[in-house]
Amino acid sequence: MSSFQPGTRSQKAYVDPTPMPEDVPKVAELGVTSAPLKSAAFFIGAYCKEFNEDFMLCKNENRDPAHCLKEGRRVTRCATELINKMRENCLEQFEAHWNCLDRNNHEYNLCRKPERTLNACMFEKLGLTKTIPGTPSGQKPIHEVESPIFKAMQK
Amino acid sequence: MPPPGGFESVKYKRNLPFRGPGGLAILGGVTAICAYGFYRVGKGNLEKRELQREKAWSRIHLVPLLMAEGDRDAYRREQAALTREREIMKDVPGWEAGKSVYNSTRYRSPDIIVL
Repeated sequence: MSSFQPGTRSQKAYVDPTPMPEDVPKVAELGVTSAPLKSAAFFIGAYCKEFNEDFMLCKNENRDPAHCLKEGRRVTRCATELINKMRENCLEQFEAHWNCLDRNNHEYNLCRKPERTLNACMFEKLGLTKTIPGTPSGQKPIHEVESPIFKAMQK
Repeated sequence: MPPPGGFESVKYKRNLPFRGPGGLAILGGVTAICAYGFYRVGKGNLEKRELQREKAWSRIHLVPLLMAEGDRDAYRREQAALTREREIMKDVPGWEAGKSVYNSTRYRSPDIIVL
């Protein structure tokens, strides 16, 4: 049997405790885990479209992290604002959906039921709709198909 | 002499029980079931493509957000590394902290990190 070898490299995590330079404005990180992010992804895409596109165009200019800090802060502020709005208006549906995603391997097709209530609530309260770009014209978007082939086995 | 009432009639007809549907019916049934199955598979493939598109776009929508967060962290670490380098190399004349080893302005992420 092999025993544990400490190895030649450091086993501790790479953490640099130095704070951000003072001249960079502070912004609170979103601090949201993957399931709520995935649940809110299409609404972030709809709500923060301009900031996101601005940021990606800026990154296209130059890949230096220092180059797009301002645009990045706008992106984060916008996403935080949207998550807060979602939590204020559709907290119950939002939690139901992301809990479902968390339990179901982050697959959208296994969580259509809570997703529909969330989408309805988001449209009603905030006027945001989920649209998937590139859906063939004349075809129902996959999240609105009533009886899909790939669905949850257990209701 | 024959018994009264005569002999029993001789059983000469073949007595074969019904053995299920014929070959053509089975073949037709199997073909029909297979055809339906392939139809569903085809439908499922189209649906899977759409599901993949949905997943891809959900990630695309999150890229700017995650990249912005990562960039802030990378920037903070780079600045820390620069101050460290300046501090270490302050006695060396003509040393430019953080100068690229390449003759190009293109950004490269640092190859060495200090743990």
